[in-house]
This record gives sequence, structure tokens and C-alpha cells, in this order.
Amino acid sequence: MVPFLGNFFLWLSLFFVIFQFFISRKNNKLKFITIAVNGLLISSFVSFFLLMYVHIVSDFSVLNVFQNSHTTKPLLYKISGVWGNHEGSMLLWILVLTIFNYFIFKLYNKKNSTFVSKALETQAFVTTGFILFTILTSNPFERIIPTPENGLGFNPILQDPALVIHPPLLYIGYVGFSAAFSISIATLSLENGEKIPWHIYMKPFVLVAWTFLSIGIALGAVWAYYELGWGGWWFWDPVENASFMPWLLGTALLHSLIIVEKRKSLQAWVLLLSILAFLLSVVGTFLVRSGILTSVHTFALDPSRGIYILAFTALLGGYSLILFGTKSKKYFDNNYFTFFSKEGSILINNILMVVVCSTVFLGTIYPLLVEAFTNNKISVGEPYYNSTVIPIIIPAILVMGIGPILSWGKEDKSKTFKKIFPSILLTSIMTLFIFLIYQSYSAVGIAGVILSFWIISNNLVILFKKNTNLSSGMIVAHLGIGLLILGITGSSIWQEEKIIRMKIDSEIKIKKNNIIFKKIDEIVGPNYVALQGNFWVYDKKKNIITKLKPENRFYPITNNFTTEASIHTNLFRDLYIVLGEGNLNDGWVVRIYYNPLVIWIWIGALVIFLGGIISITSNLKKLKSLA
Amino acid sequence: MKKQLLILPSVFFLLILSIFFYLLTIDRNPSELPSTLLNKNVPKFETESLLKNEKFISSQEFGNETTLVNFFATWCKPCRDEHAYIQRFSNEKGIKVIGINYKDNPKKTIQWLKKLGNPYSNVAVDKNGRIAIDWGVYGIPETFIVNSKGVIKYRHVGPVTKKIYRKINLIIGENK
Amino acid sequence: MIINKIILIKIFLIITVICLTQFFSNNSNTVEPDEILQDQKQELRARNISKNIRCMVCQNQSIDESNAPLAKDLRILIRNKIKKGNKDKEIYEFLTNRYGDFILLKPPFKLSTLALWLLPLTFFAVGVFIILFHNKKSKKI
Repeated sequence: MVPFLGNFFLWLSLFFVIFQFFISRKNNKLKFITIAVNGLLISSFVSFFLLMYVHIVSDFSVLNVFQNSHTTKPLLYKISGVWGNHEGSMLLWILVLTIFNYFIFKLYNKKNSTFVSKALETQAFVTTGFILFTILTSNPFERIIPTPENGLGFNPILQDPALVIHPPLLYIGYVGFSAAFSISIATLSLENGEKIPWHIYMKPFVLVAWTFLSIGIALGAVWAYYELGWGGWWFWDPVENASFMPWLLGTALLHSLIIVEKRKSLQAWVLLLSILAFLLSVVGTFLVRSGILTSVHTFALDPSRGIYILAFTALLGGYSLILFGTKSKKYFDNNYFTFFSKEGSILINNILMVVVCSTVFLGTIYPLLVEAFTNNKISVGEPYYNSTVIPIIIPAILVMGIGPILSWGKEDKSKTFKKIFPSILLTSIMTLFIFLIYQSYSAVGIAGVILSFWIISNNLVILFKKNTNLSSGMIVAHLGIGLLILGITGSSIWQEEKIIRMKIDSEIKIKKNNIIFKKIDEIVGPNYVALQGNFWVYDKKKNIITKLKPENRFYPITNNFTTEASIHTNLFRDLYIVLGEGNLNDGWVVRIYYNPLVIWIWIGALVIFLGGIISITSNLKKLKSLA
Repeated sequence: MKKQLLILPSVFFLLILSIFFYLLTIDRNPSELPSTLLNKNVPKFETESLLKNEKFISSQEFGNETTLVNFFATWCKPCRDEHAYIQRFSNEKGIKVIGINYKDNPKKTIQWLKKLGNPYSNVAVDKNGRIAIDWGVYGIPETFIVNSKGVIKYRHVGPVTKKIYRKINLIIGENK
Repeated sequence: MIINKIILIKIFLIITVICLTQFFSNNSNTVEPDEILQDQKQELRARNISKNIRCMVCQNQSIDESNAPLAKDLRILIRNKIKKGNKDKEIYEFLTNRYGDFILLKPPFKLSTLALWLLPLTFFAVGVFIILFHNKKSKKI
């Protein structure tokens, strides 16, 4: 019954969205639009929660539950199991689309009714595409007869708190760009689009998308760090790239919007970026779901899905980009500006972000190009990105440090040095301090540390200077980026590792810590059994710091093994222990990583998120004062 | 000039999508790799023979007639699935099949072959996987066709299925 | 729930008794202690090469990070070759002769990868050009 209802509400949302599409084409039908928008929101909500319900009660008559769940799965993971698979995640995707649809509708007033109707029409078109895709190729309510007794289980490597909220956050990011896309299309299609304050409408959506994408990506990295067990957190996997590319474009878009607001320049550029950011989000999904690339996280291998999404993307992209090509002329301007100014620095960063994004895109699809045009296959991995992306990002970070300090229009060069002098001083002091602690002097390490302190001190200086009219959200987010770079540099340059075979009661020294392998236990978890090592960590004065308990888990239902690293974190370093294979006689293989400054990656990401939230609230205020 | 440039994004976009489209529609397995050893001589190696009381010397085994080389192990389930097809090659088609036993226990293997039937005219023991590396093998089972001159003509990764069985027969026919 | 746990424990005990080492060896990742070379310089070279070699059965992971048996074999092979005095270049050649360019995480510079290596430079150059172009025009205001 419940699965039937869920399916019914999915079809009902299809009905409402088509209704919205046609009704918003005709102007001034506020009553009907209201019905359509609310109906769509409610029906997609209901259908999503019905799917959640069948997952929670383990209704194995639903194929999706059978394939991805099991009665022994903990409740939290039954819930997150809804979006842990392709079909269920599509339903979440639709839900987020309709929520943004609702917020676009909230912009509606008498003055902008044509504009908002047009945006709603576009959003309805996009949503129709995804609902149809779900119903036709990936319906999560599909039944299975006869009802199996229990489910097939769930990939335990995905059973992690970070992964519970990682997909929803990412989807808010991707789908948030759909609203910017719709607003951009509405602007381009209307005859008098330039009279509408479309950039003010667009900005909160872009901010929301960017903020949630940032924290979503960070949580993916957290998951990799805690779950994959080799001390790393980013591998330039196509799936990671698929989220990183829209983030880069989103960053460029966000900053360009400021120029549109302050200088009435770069309007065409913003319209193009907002189209591209959403298209890249969809193409990213396509790359992941179609099985065209194989990847660690790939959900499903099904070419028919691939062809559907491809056709839909071609339609969306073809239409929007041709519209841009024909209608964007009036959004070009001649407001050029010197690059030694605030808008100049934003422009430079903008372009560098787009260059990085193009490079990542190239690296991601190049293996496919080689395969299509030659009979060879190549890999593009971390070493490629390290040698191409990093040199482009370094100047971007330098500019990012100084940008907020510069004035609009034309910067008075004689005053600039005076302005940046305190931050140069601060940077030097903090850099010296760090090197006194870590005493490691690689060139990349020095560059990374200087860059991060450059940003941190510039923003601290702004923060302590009174009566600036700079947005506090921006300063906070920039501070976060500085901290993030510090963490990335520390953890990737100064990482130390010890890989040894340890017997019970043996001891190992890493940096200034002594680690004693005390014992090994067999433990039983909710749906796994595990071997758990017990390591006591002492500092150099022989005081105990912590007891680390890395595990080797076995999940009998899916016949999977996972490693659970055990980590002790403080502000300076992570001690990261992984238990390998072994036995009582020969001892166990133990990997100990000393990862400096990792915590600052997560703190940085959180601070960025916080900055984003602050900016969202202040922009919503701006929006309200407009209406 | 500038106005015509505005159409470029859409052109690029559709170009890239058409490449994706091409890759989706052709029959391809993203995890399958082309072998760099195609049209090259078989790697030379010497090792124990599982079935005979003498050394397995590659130069004596290859180069006389068209030969199928099958990397297998008793611990690999797909190897058991494809075994019937491997047997059909040797029993029905009379093709010489050489097995290379990958990281396995010789006793278990002999029992396994007794139980399931032995299609192999000789089996080389690859105790530590070193021979497989020379063949560019990355996942067993893998099957190679070596022609009568000792040159590798075809490679298949994964179990031999009905479709692959037909394909291999076709290629062997062409190389006779 | 209790029954489930008992079953789990039974399964676990069977596994521990029969083939614990074999099973858990699937699980151990990255370089193992018995592989590590005594000579630190040689070991560092081995690690650097391993970081550039793709684990064939995993996706976009290097053999240095991977737990696959083949990755382990390749790590040992690389170390043996280093001990024998082979140069890095020879080791890369040995591997690409068998597994093709696919095994290199950093694609080689050749005709088919020309665009891969040159386009980022081109993007960058175009970017710099746009910035300079914009700056020149700035005198207008």
C-alpha cells in the first residue's frame, strides 16, 4: 500500500510540475501558479518521506529497499539508505528542486510577475526532466514479487555519519544552481530583462548553492579521511571532480555578482557562468550515473540512464547556450577597469577559477577522448592535477589575499603598501612561528604556509579595522579559506608514517610520542564483528595522552571488510592508527600516520560554511528591503 | 567579430556531449583495457609444470600451433563459471589450451581439475604472480590467443561467456 | 537481535579459526612492513614510483595507497628492481611495456596527450590575455 502511495505521489508531482510549466507560460494566473507550486512541493515531499518510511520499516517488497537495506542495519543508516543509492537519491534531487522552485515563487510580486513566471517555467521544465527520468528509468518504488525475506544489505564502507548528510548537502549545492539557471534563462528571454534586478534575485540562490556545496565537498573529504584508512582525503576521483567543478564556477559566479551589483559590469559573464554551473552539475551527475567512467563511488551502470540524461542535458544546454549566444548582446558593456582595484582583483580570480575548472574538466574527460579517438587508454590521476592545478591556484590565492583591501575604482598605489604592511608583518611572524614548530623546509610547504597566513592576516587586519563596509560573511569565508590552505599544506607536506609489524606489548616512537600496543579484542557491533587493537599513546614525559582503538570490521551480510582508523586529534596534529593483517605469533601490521594540522582543514571548511550562512542572511535582508 | 564568438559555448558543449553519446552507444566495457602485448611475441618464462614432471618452458609450448592461454585459479569463482567453455575449446574444437595457474595451491588445483575436467594440455605454475605481470594480466580469469608463430592476437579479461566463446572461435579461424 | 548477534559471532569465529590471515589480508592497505627496503634512499624512490603507478583494479588510486594483491605484487617488483640497480626510467618502461600508458597516473607527454598537457597552459594564457586586455581598456573611465 505505502509503496503504491509513494508511486502515486511521484506521478502527482509530475502532474503538478507539467501544470506549473504550462500555467506559468500564461501570465498573471497567480492563483493557479500557487496551486501548482505548492502541490508540487507537497507531493514530492510526501513521496520522498514515503520512500523513507518503507526503508525504515524494511518493506522488502520494494526492490530498492531489498537491494540496499537489511533488517540489521542501524536506523540512522536505514534513513540515509534512502539517498545512498541511485533511485532514492533521484527522489531527493527532485525534492530539493521543488524546494528551490518554491523559493523562486516566493520572489513573486506585482512588479516582477512576468520575470518570475518565466523563471518558474524554466524551473518546471528542468524538474519535469528529472521526474520523468526517475519514473522512466529509476523508479524507487518498483516492486519485487515474491517479497524476499531480507535485504541484500548495504555497502558498509558507506555506513558512516559523514556520508549520512554528505549527499543532501551536495544536492542542495548542485540543485541550487538550477535556480540561478532558471533566473538566468528568464533574464535572457525577456525583452526588458535588464530592467529587472535579476542579480539581486540570483545571489541568495548562488550563495546557498555555493555554501552547501562547500560543506558537502568537505564532508566527502572527511569521509575519505576517516573511512578509507590511508590518511588521505582527496583523490581527484571523477566523482570528486564532478562536485569540485561546479564549486569553482560557483566561486567565480559569486564574486562576479558583486561586480554586477557595484559596477554594473560583467553581466553577460554572470549569465553565462550561472548557466554553465548548473550544466556542469548535471553533466557531473551524468558522468557518475551513466557508468561511462568507472569510479570508486559509482552508483549504477546502466547506459539507458546515461542516454536519457545525456539527451536531457543536450536539450537544456543547447537551448540555454544558444539563447545566451543570441540574446546576451545587450548585457555587454564597456565598463572596463584597471586590475589594480577591487573589481580588478575579483576579475583576475574569476578568470583563474575558470582556468582551474577547465583544467579539471579536461583531466576528467581526457581519458574518454583518448579512448574514443585512439585504441589506447590512459589514466589521469593526482600527479597530473598536482602539476597543473596548483601552479594556477597559487597566484589566485595571492590575489585573493590582497583583493578585499583594495578600493573600488582605482587604487591609490602609494597607500597600498601602507595598507598591506601590517599583514606582511603578521604573515612573516606566523610563518616563522610555524617553522619553529615543525622544522621542515620544503619549497611547497613554505609557499603554502605563507599563502595561508597571507590570507589569514589580511582578513584579520580588516576585521580589526573599524568602520569598513565590507561584508562580514565574506571576511569569515576568506578566513576559512586561509585556514583550509594551512591544513592542506600541513597534512600533505609534513605527513609522517610508520608502517611496522607490532606484537602485543611492543612499542614504537613517532615524532615525540611513544605508542604501546596493549592488546587486541574481538568485538561485536550492530551488524558487524571486528578485531579491535588497543594502543596507548604517551608523550615524552610518559604521560598517557590517549588510547586508540582501530578496528578491522567484517560485515557478514555483504561479505565486506572495512578498516576503521582510530584518530587522536589536537590543534597541531592527528595521530592516525590503522590496524592491518596479522596474528598473535608474528604480530600485526600497524600503520601510524602523523598528520600535522589536519583539523584546520575541517575547521576551515566549517568557517567557510559559517561565512556563507552569514552572507545568505544579509542578502535575504537586502532582498526583503527590495520587495 | 565578438558577436559570432557568443555561439562558441554552445558549439563546444554539444561537441563534448556528442563524444559522450558516441562512447555510450558503442559496445564498450569501461573497465576493460587494450593489451599492449597484442601482435607481440609471448613473454618468455620458465617455471614448474603442474601436470608433468618437467619444467614448463614457454619457448617449447608456443609457436607450433594456435594456442589458447588461460590464466585461472581455483579460488576465483568466475574461473569455475567459464570452465565449461574452456573445455569446449579443447574437447570440441581441438584447440591447444595452456593453463597458467595463478597464485594457487597445486594440490587443490589438481583436485579441482579432476573434479571439473582438465582442458589444459599443460599447466604452468605462477606461484607469486610474476608471470601474470609479464603478460599484463590484472585480474583473472584472462584468456589470450597465441598464433602459430607465437604472437599474441587477442586478449579477453574476465570469464569467457557465450558471446566471447563465439568471438574467440572466430578469431582463431581467422588466424589459422 | 540477540539471535542475530549469536549468528554473527559464530560466523566470526569460523572465520577467525579457518582463514583469518587470508581474509584480513584483503583488508590491509598500502605498503606493508615486510616490503620496506633497508636503504632509505631506495625506499623513498620506491615510494615515489609507486605513487605514480595506478592500481589497475582500483580506480584512480595509486599502488602506494591500494590494498589490492596486484598492487602489492607491483610494489615488491619495483623494490626488487631498485635493489638490482634499475633506474626509475627503466622501471616505468618495464611497467608500460606490460600494462600500457594506463598504468601511469601522470600521463606521458606524447601526441595523443598533447592537448591534455598544452591546453591548461593555453587556458592560462588566454586568461592572462583577457586580464591584460581589460586593464588596457581601463583608461576609458
